[in-house]
Amino acid sequence: MADLHYLSLSKGQRFLHRLSRSIRQLPGRLAQGVKSLALAVARIFVGIGRDLADLATTFLQGDWKTKTSYFIMGFGSIARGQVLRGLLFFLFQVVFLLYMLFFGGAYLAKWGTLGDVETTRVGRRTVYGDNSFLILLYGVLTLFFVLAFLYTWRANVKQNKIAEQILKSGKKLKSGKQDVAALADNQFHKTLLALPTMGIFLFTVVPIVFMILVAFTNYDYTHQPPGKLFTWVGLDNFRTMLSAGSANYGSTFSQVLLWTLIWAFFATFLNYFLGMLVAIMINKKGIRLKKMWRTILVMTIAIPQFVSLLYVSKMFAADGIINSYLMQWGWISKPLPFWQDPIWARVTIIVINIWIGIPYMMLIATGILMNIPADLYESARIDGANAVQMYGKITLPYMLFVTGPYLLTSFIGNINNFNVIFLLSGGGPMSMELGGNAGYTDLLITWLYKMTVNNTDYKMAAVIGIIVFVVTAVINVVVYNAIPSVKNEEDFQ
Amino acid sequence: MKKLFALVLSLALMLSLFGMAASAEGFSGDVKIWVADNMVELTRAKAEEFKAAHPEYANMNVLIEAVGEGDSATNMITDVEGGADIFGFAQDQLARLVAAGALVELSPENAEIVKAENDGGSVAAVTLGDVLYAYPMTSDNGYFLNYDKSVITDPSTLEGVLDQAHAAGKKVYFQINNGWYQTAFFFGTGATVTYDVDNAGNLVKANINYASPEGVAALKGMINLAKHPAFVNGSDAPSASNYAAIVVGTWNRETIAAEFGENYAATKLPTFTVDGVTYQLSGFGGFKMLGVKPQVDDAKLAAVDALALYLAGEEVQQARYEQSGWGPSNLKVQQSEAVKADFVLSALAEQLNFALGQGQYPNDYWSTAQGLGDDVIAGKFNDYTDEQLMEELVKFQDILISLANPQ
Repeated sequence: MADLHYLSLSKGQRFLHRLSRSIRQLPGRLAQGVKSLALAVARIFVGIGRDLADLATTFLQGDWKTKTSYFIMGFGSIARGQVLRGLLFFLFQVVFLLYMLFFGGAYLAKWGTLGDVETTRVGRRTVYGDNSFLILLYGVLTLFFVLAFLYTWRANVKQNKIAEQILKSGKKLKSGKQDVAALADNQFHKTLLALPTMGIFLFTVVPIVFMILVAFTNYDYTHQPPGKLFTWVGLDNFRTMLSAGSANYGSTFSQVLLWTLIWAFFATFLNYFLGMLVAIMINKKGIRLKKMWRTILVMTIAIPQFVSLLYVSKMFAADGIINSYLMQWGWISKPLPFWQDPIWARVTIIVINIWIGIPYMMLIATGILMNIPADLYESARIDGANAVQMYGKITLPYMLFVTGPYLLTSFIGNINNFNVIFLLSGGGPMSMELGGNAGYTDLLITWLYKMTVNNTDYKMAAVIGIIVFVVTAVINVVVYNAIPSVKNEEDFQ
Repeated sequence: MKKLFALVLSLALMLSLFGMAASAEGFSGDVKIWVADNMVELTRAKAEEFKAAHPEYANMNVLIEAVGEGDSATNMITDVEGGADIFGFAQDQLARLVAAGALVELSPENAEIVKAENDGGSVAAVTLGDVLYAYPMTSDNGYFLNYDKSVITDPSTLEGVLDQAHAAGKKVYFQINNGWYQTAFFFGTGATVTYDVDNAGNLVKANINYASPEGVAALKGMINLAKHPAFVNGSDAPSASNYAAIVVGTWNRETIAAEFGENYAATKLPTFTVDGVTYQLSGFGGFKMLGVKPQVDDAKLAAVDALALYLAGEEVQQARYEQSGWGPSNLKVQQSEAVKADFVLSALAEQLNFALGQGQYPNDYWSTAQGLGDDVIAGKFNDYTDEQLMEELVKFQDILISLANPQ
């Protein structure tokens, strides 16, 4: 498409064009990603090779202090007068060895099988065997510890090499006092970031790695520690999730994924446009009691969502207030199947979500609408534009430009919108067509919840968790590259 | 930081190792018990009586927490080590708990006592293979027809009950999207589903004949019920409204009594007619039981065994009946005058004649059955021919068969 042709399109068409281009480019990008990944891996190997060579030459060319440091960490530093550094290195080595000897080593040794000693009964007393859960968890921790040790050991060797060079050039080494002072000066970033990094590592990285690993085990209620062992099963769980057949979840999964995307689409864009519409209506000159209308709408935010959602869910139940009144007035003879029929349930959920979502969007839109320069509208009016044209040419492009990232995050948020689905329908109605306890309104995230809490099926839940990540990551990358706020008109080439 | 973490972890491990060593005579540590909310006070009082009667356990610290029979099994399976030492649960969870290693089998002495003192159905319900895994606590987990006798004068047929309720502008509650209530139809026509269980709690084989003329008749009975304007799917009396009849068990009797007042009546489930043949509604007969968690300490195991036996015994069953009307499994309590004169328990006993003792079912049975029920309520099968209904039942049956794992 030529530049001129592109520029002749309307804003909406331009966005669609960019979106389709971005999707069309996806295979190419993926290939490029794979290529650069391969390159990165190759670079890592080259780096490791170079590092090993450097280790060897440092050992061969180094003095005896350096050579001893290969086995006793920090020896060289202490021998050259950097006592504090040397002691810290040495202490780390001692703690690492003790940890491996008395704690981590045993867990790491069993990591390959996740334990092989079964729980037994001596008389009626229970003697617990290996605990696969702890082996997996502490194994992960120990692996990280080993990596940290290797890194520190490498740093220790490097220290010796640098110290030798500095001494050779006739300069003096830093004293312990200077090292400590540096932590408050040019090394201050390390002091500041030590605690947060540690926290993120322990409370975010380790659990994520652990959960990812669970997807490759058979951890479920028949393999529940401490009574039972679980072990590695490779990619079996992914096969069960994605392949068709009555024993597998393939058809259920595609059904749930499709509904998740449909739901996220409607929940995001219906709320977006209706919320904007309401904001425009309230903003219009001549509308009285603006504050009252806004207050009424914002009231829905003031009530905790789970209270209002549970209440609304009961209202629409077969024996709920809505069906009861409709029947009492004789409008219907049977309860409307709000939660019993798949299509009814899906539409009901989307409509109820509009009621919840409009106030938020209205608040956001109100602020942005007030920011649009009034002279734009004025000159448009002088040129003879009608309300629809002004909306299409001024309001919408402006809104899309400002709220592009918000739209994206709310789309991703809706893919993981647990509350609305779980509290309204609980994922139901269920059907024989669907496996794994899933229902017709289940999102991936509520399905994951049911797997974990109702079925104690951690392995499949972990698989869904990984898939949710992949889905949201792909959508993020594709859409982010297409929204006007990121790819501005001027950047287009 | 990592070092500190490792140190704390190893310290905790060592402490827990030391904690296991305890005295051989008596027991004085903590014992955690999970019972239903309305049984907390009663259980606490009875546990104190137990301690008073057994001086060797006088210093035992009994902690009682309210965890309903519905949640306790899932909570136990999620975290066996953090779970209760004694916990109440409904029998459908037994195999699942055993498979997850959350139950210890009864000692031979206690097993003899339990077999001698409780009715046969409840003993069968706590048995897997030939091993007893829990103490029967009630023999009342069944459902029957609760109705308003001022509206429903003839509760003998389902069609009649529905029409009488509809004529008065009232509703009939029957939760057919639930694997537990649904069996009323299937077992009623002669279709059955059971699973063979081995000693370790594994479901090794499915015995099912749902894909049969009987199964089709049952499904048609459900479809006819779902089509009726007076039908509402549900079994929770507190959240039901404007009803003249509700199929539920004894646990909702107080709510229903408050709703119907003088006119509260209960009887066996009605009959239903499909293609000119009349069937008696059947269903599950069920039980509640107390389980004991595997223990690493013999002294504690002995204490917990004795306490569980007492809490599931005659005296406490009598107290449970008197407080909340829980139907006893203990033969002596069943023979007491008060229990015999209770019209709700009589209705239950009458219905249990038509019901099958509930065995073990895989977790996915319940969701699959809910799927079938939801499909019926959604009207998916309304215009189906018998052949099409048979196809659906074949599908249903195949799923249930696939849930058993031959070892």
